[in-house]
Amino acid sequence: MTDPQKSPEQTASKGVAVAVPVVPDHEIIRLIGTGGSGQVWLARNALGTYRAIKIVFERKSACGLPFNGEFEGVKKFEPISRSHDGLVDILQVGGGAGTGFFYCVMELADDVQTGQTIDPEKYIPRTLWRDLSGRRQLPVGECIRLGATIASALGFMHRHGLIHRDITPANIIFVNGFPKLADAGLVVEMFQAGSYVGTEGYIAPEGPGTARADVYSLGKVLYEISTGLDRNDYPALPAHLDRNREGRDLIRFNKIVLKACRQNPLKRYSSADEMLTALLAFQFSPRSLRQEKRLHTAARLMGIAGVLVGAVVIFFLVRRIVWLLNHAG
Amino acid sequence: MNEAMPLTRTDLFPTRYSLLSRLEDWSDDDSWRDFFETYWRLIYATALKAGLTESEAQDVVQETIISVAKDLHKFERVRERGSFKGWLRNIIRWRIADQFRKRMRHEPLPKAQPGTSFETADMADVPDPAGSTAEAAWDEEMRASLLEAALKNIRPRVREEYYQMFDLYVVKHWPPGRIARMLGVNIGQVYLAKHRVGRLVKKEIRRLEKKWG
Repeated sequence: MTDPQKSPEQTASKGVAVAVPVVPDHEIIRLIGTGGSGQVWLARNALGTYRAIKIVFERKSACGLPFNGEFEGVKKFEPISRSHDGLVDILQVGGGAGTGFFYCVMELADDVQTGQTIDPEKYIPRTLWRDLSGRRQLPVGECIRLGATIASALGFMHRHGLIHRDITPANIIFVNGFPKLADAGLVVEMFQAGSYVGTEGYIAPEGPGTARADVYSLGKVLYEISTGLDRNDYPALPAHLDRNREGRDLIRFNKIVLKACRQNPLKRYSSADEMLTALLAFQFSPRSLRQEKRLHTAARLMGIAGVLVGAVVIFFLVRRIVWLLNHAG
Repeated sequence: MNEAMPLTRTDLFPTRYSLLSRLEDWSDDDSWRDFFETYWRLIYATALKAGLTESEAQDVVQETIISVAKDLHKFERVRERGSFKGWLRNIIRWRIADQFRKRMRHEPLPKAQPGTSFETADMADVPDPAGSTAEAAWDEEMRASLLEAALKNIRPRVREEYYQMFDLYVVKHWPPGRIARMLGVNIGQVYLAKHRVGRLVKKEIRRLEKKWG
């Protein structure tokens, strides 16, 4: 798996001059990422709150859309982004046609180590890609919760006539520990989504730009996080499948992934909302609920057993102390 | 990142557009992609085994593809004199030697001890991936590359559930009963998947062998 966003160190090592942009009411601190459609900077606003600022220069807009088209997409996305918890809030947009660039001020992702406690010198944004490079495979329960959040956010975008076109683990960030869909750089309205953009391996075989193609990309992300395999290994299953306690759950979860990633778009979920329904049905299926209940019961019994053992130990200790005191007298 | 991620084709793929622009003699996009998908792992693994770093091995992959593109027409003219795999083996070896030469140009030479001499890296320094003892292993690696490429090529053409059963049975060597139990299917479906997907894989390997074997 590769992170399409290059680190500033990589950029610097390639000898690319990085000009510090000027954004009203914000102090620009340092470059934290570059990608096909622009640069992302760490910044601080007048109140001292840290923000991420994405800058897209006219010459950098190499993602298949005319610069103005990309700017229009972000303008449409900006008010919508703040109406759903699964989308990264875009707080301010500036620049645009005639200025040679535009910028978006966004809420900042957690730091990989310290969450929302930001040390600007050491800050590294927590993305799903970074989580995976440490753990490779996430528990099925976590995959369902993450999948449901992102499917819900996608469904919300689609209902507003917008397509994301670049759903990858690098574009899912965590804010206060909750996953959010980021990088509005390639967001467009459905009718203008004809250009071929996105990240190799996540792009639907028929090409990006439709709701079903976004569903396909999300399916590939869920495949990677649930199996720990590369998206290009799809649809292979992990070799250790039945040694894993969650193996059977993974097989059931995999059925959702397979339906999202069918080669024929007509055989996929027709919408992100339909995929969300499948994920929720899985999460709240009687079997999952029974398992969860069993886990709760086991945890409760363990707790009770712990308290009882503690009480017995204390009882014998007290008795021993009393006995020692009596005999000492 | 807490641990190094293994290299995947995706890591090499972003360079394909710049690579393509250098393949003047190989303007057919599908053809070079076919070659790349079939052999990049083999070239990369051979370069690593020869002692190159990951980034040098990536360069060997690119330079080998460019060499093949440039000289394929020459090889086609004299094909009866040798096999494609023997020709490819030599190209990989030459490109590995190039990397060693490049490395020596950038690294300062250690001070020579009296009575010793330093040679520049040449073909003699590069282990022949198909030396007499390694011939069988090289052939095996070539076959593995073809199988891997064939599996990848047929994947979009088969139903995903069938591919999963085939992969667990043939590639991961699971017993059919275990696959049936785990996937919740009957054992007949496992055999059917093996038969159907296996037939497609064989056909694809024959095609690749005819073209690149």
